Amino acid sequence: MDIGHETLVAISKSWGLFYLLAFSVGVMVYAFWPGNRKAFEHARTSILAEDDTPLEPEN
Amino acid sequence: MISRLTLSERQLALGVLLFLGIIGLAMAAAGRNDPLGGQGFIVLLFSVGLAFYVMSGYFAPEPDESRLASYYDDPTKVGIVLAMFWAVIGMAMGVWVAALLAWPELTFVDQAWASFGRLRPVHTSGVIFGFGGNALIATSFHVLQRTSRARLPDQFSPWFVLIGYNLFCIVAASGYLMGITQSKEYAEPEWYADIWLVIVWVVYFLIYLRTLARRKEPHIYVANWYYMAFILVVAVLHIVNNLAVPVSFSHAKSYSLFSGVQDAMTEWWYGHNAVAFFLTSGFLGMMYYYLPKRAGRPIFSYRLSIISFWGITFLYMWAGSHHLHYTALPQWVQTLGMTFSVMLLVPSWASAGNALATLNGAWHKVRDDATLRFMMVAAVFYGLSTFEGSFMAIRPVNSLSHYTDWTIGHVHAGALGWVAMITFGSIYALVPWLWKREAMYSPRLVEVHFWLALAGTIVYVFSMWNSGIIQGLMWRTYNDSGTLAYSFVDSLEAMHPYYIARTFGGLLFLAGAVVGTFNVLKTITLARHESATAAEPDMPAIPATSAVQAGE
Amino acid sequence: MPEFFHRKVERNAIGFVLAIVGVASIGGFVEIAPLFTIHETVEEAPDMRLYTPLELAGRNIYIREGCYACHSQMIRTLRDEVERYGPYSLAVESKYDHPMLWGSKRTGPDLARVGGKYSDVWQVRHLMNPRDVVPQSIMPRYGWLAKNDLRIDDLGEHLAAQRAVGVPYTQAMIDNATQDAYGQASPDSNYASGVSERYGKATNVRAFDGDPSRVTEMDALVAYLQILGHLTDAAYKQPAAQAEAQE
Repeated sequence: MDIGHETLVAISKSWGLFYLLAFSVGVMVYAFWPGNRKAFEHARTSILAEDDTPLEPEN
Repeated sequence: MISRLTLSERQLALGVLLFLGIIGLAMAAAGRNDPLGGQGFIVLLFSVGLAFYVMSGYFAPEPDESRLASYYDDPTKVGIVLAMFWAVIGMAMGVWVAALLAWPELTFVDQAWASFGRLRPVHTSGVIFGFGGNALIATSFHVLQRTSRARLPDQFSPWFVLIGYNLFCIVAASGYLMGITQSKEYAEPEWYADIWLVIVWVVYFLIYLRTLARRKEPHIYVANWYYMAFILVVAVLHIVNNLAVPVSFSHAKSYSLFSGVQDAMTEWWYGHNAVAFFLTSGFLGMMYYYLPKRAGRPIFSYRLSIISFWGITFLYMWAGSHHLHYTALPQWVQTLGMTFSVMLLVPSWASAGNALATLNGAWHKVRDDATLRFMMVAAVFYGLSTFEGSFMAIRPVNSLSHYTDWTIGHVHAGALGWVAMITFGSIYALVPWLWKREAMYSPRLVEVHFWLALAGTIVYVFSMWNSGIIQGLMWRTYNDSGTLAYSFVDSLEAMHPYYIARTFGGLLFLAGAVVGTFNVLKTITLARHESATAAEPDMPAIPATSAVQAGE
Repeated sequence: MPEFFHRKVERNAIGFVLAIVGVASIGGFVEIAPLFTIHETVEEAPDMRLYTPLELAGRNIYIREGCYACHSQMIRTLRDEVERYGPYSLAVESKYDHPMLWGSKRTGPDLARVGGKYSDVWQVRHLMNPRDVVPQSIMPRYGWLAKNDLRIDDLGEHLAAQRAVGVPYTQAMIDNATQDAYGQASPDSNYASGVSERYGKATNVRAFDGDPSRVTEMDALVAYLQILGHLTDAAYKQPAAQAEAQE
């Protein structure tokens, strides 16, 4: 292994931060994407359904 | 229970138990000069006992196809009872070791197995893995099926996970009494138990994947995200942290692959993320399902729950080094850990706030329903202890708090206030649903349990805050001549009243758990009694046709 | 785009799994990866010696009885700790500790430099009944350590396993592990000289529990306690160690 300690430290200090920022932006975009609103709203309320049996298997 | 299994599932169970029995026998033989032998006998007894149980129902008629039209909840039911059982064991052990710190001469025999150092991990593993783990497994099977609108893929593997996991817990706890430990905090079990847990965990994970693959809801409900993060990340943590070389196959003892500073970093990367993914993520999954369900209101913001999920999953991984401030760990790693620990407050409070906002408009229910109140208080304590955690991760604060009882107070604010409260709340919500009853046997006892638990937590946490801060201050106080003002023994004497108070707080909490266990068991017996006196189930007494072909 | 992407991720459970593992493990990996090269930054300590088989067995008893739960072995770089316990701990001092025993709680005092601080007699009395020597102590008694003979026949296997994880035990050390353990606790026996030959002249060779006729678990634990902080002098030589520690 040629990768020394200094290199690894440098990677975690620079790319680690970049990864953090890019990641947060990605999650925010996903959470607030208008097209997702319907799916979220459905998921949010779906657990309150009283029905306590599995849905029929499709095949 | 056995009569609900198909013949091939019964055979599979016997096969696995036979295999396990052989392993136990091999351990007992190879380790006859070592504590490993004792562990082997436990494995052997466990598998033989269970095999007898399976045999007792082996010739019962097979269930028919109608079972597929309902969810498979038997493992969940057993898991709940096991969780309550471990809660009582683990908490009783906690009260006992707390009492030993106040009155060291209480130990009735000068025997190794009865000493503080061996009993303490029985307490920590008993409550974290025994109580917490069983509750997570039981509820995850329930939530997974409901939110996927699909039945578990088969009836054997959930039993394998539940029973196998409890075997791990029993081997671990009995091992501590025999003096078997890796000394890695919250990862004390030795190599053979660790390998077994990996096998159990893989099956657990596959159940999740297979059920999700069969789901009828397009979107995976957020509670499952948390449960999956729990399963997956715990697997990664467990495998890496437990890498070790056994002395030989006839020794229980192994040596960690890592040493010194590397081992410390790995251990606290594991230790802190065990808090994150075992004691937080999984229980958040519980909260995101049972709290809205019990309140009858959808979660306040689904988006917020997604953002906090990824936030927690991402940020926690970096925070472990805050356990090693001012040590020989390189400073930049310490700083990184501190920064991320502080940032963690954002997703943590987002979750806590989301839970409380869900209850907004249902406060009258919280007032009247102790079950919902358990969950509300849990969310409050979650918010409090995550704030405290971020605060304690700041280096100067940590210089005071580290090594003191403050840490113990913090851990118990989380463990009693958050983890145990959300679990009790969820169990009280779940038991009547599962056993098809209107309510628990006694709602008044739920109320009693609630107040015992809350009072116990507050007494415990306040006594540890006090003792921890006094301890930390005494250790660093200088007198006028510039020398240390107090000896270590001075600080020890100052702790005595708080150690008594802490024992009392724990005793209250334990009493609550005993009341809760009684209430759960009573509800189950009532439900069984009712269903027995009601009309006999219209199950055909004729064995199903598939019984004939099951000899392969 | 992200909508399409994440919807797909969500629908496909495997993709979701990979996302969780990726997100969670990259954080840990980036932080831990540099530690695998940390030997480049750990101080040099040419005088660093290994645990003798008896001390290693003692260390295993320390682990077995859960001592680490109440005693740390990590002196932080804080003035009051340095003054109370001695020079702050260096990474190199636990270089051969598989696993490390830094601890996380001080229900009792730190033990990183307890070696040589008290006599063997004091240590034995203290372990038999701590309240005999420290009346306020809340530590348990460990009477069985004096009764139990130490298992020494398998110490060679222990040393071999230690070598497998990276501790530089020589073949001679492994072959003689049992004799060395016996010799270290029996100064008048024929085996005593081999111990200082293999592990250095400074090695403590004496009947730690006061009885040279047998090797007990007490011998092993006291031998371990008496070496704590003395595997190397590196920490005592650090110019900054005695002075005011940072912050």
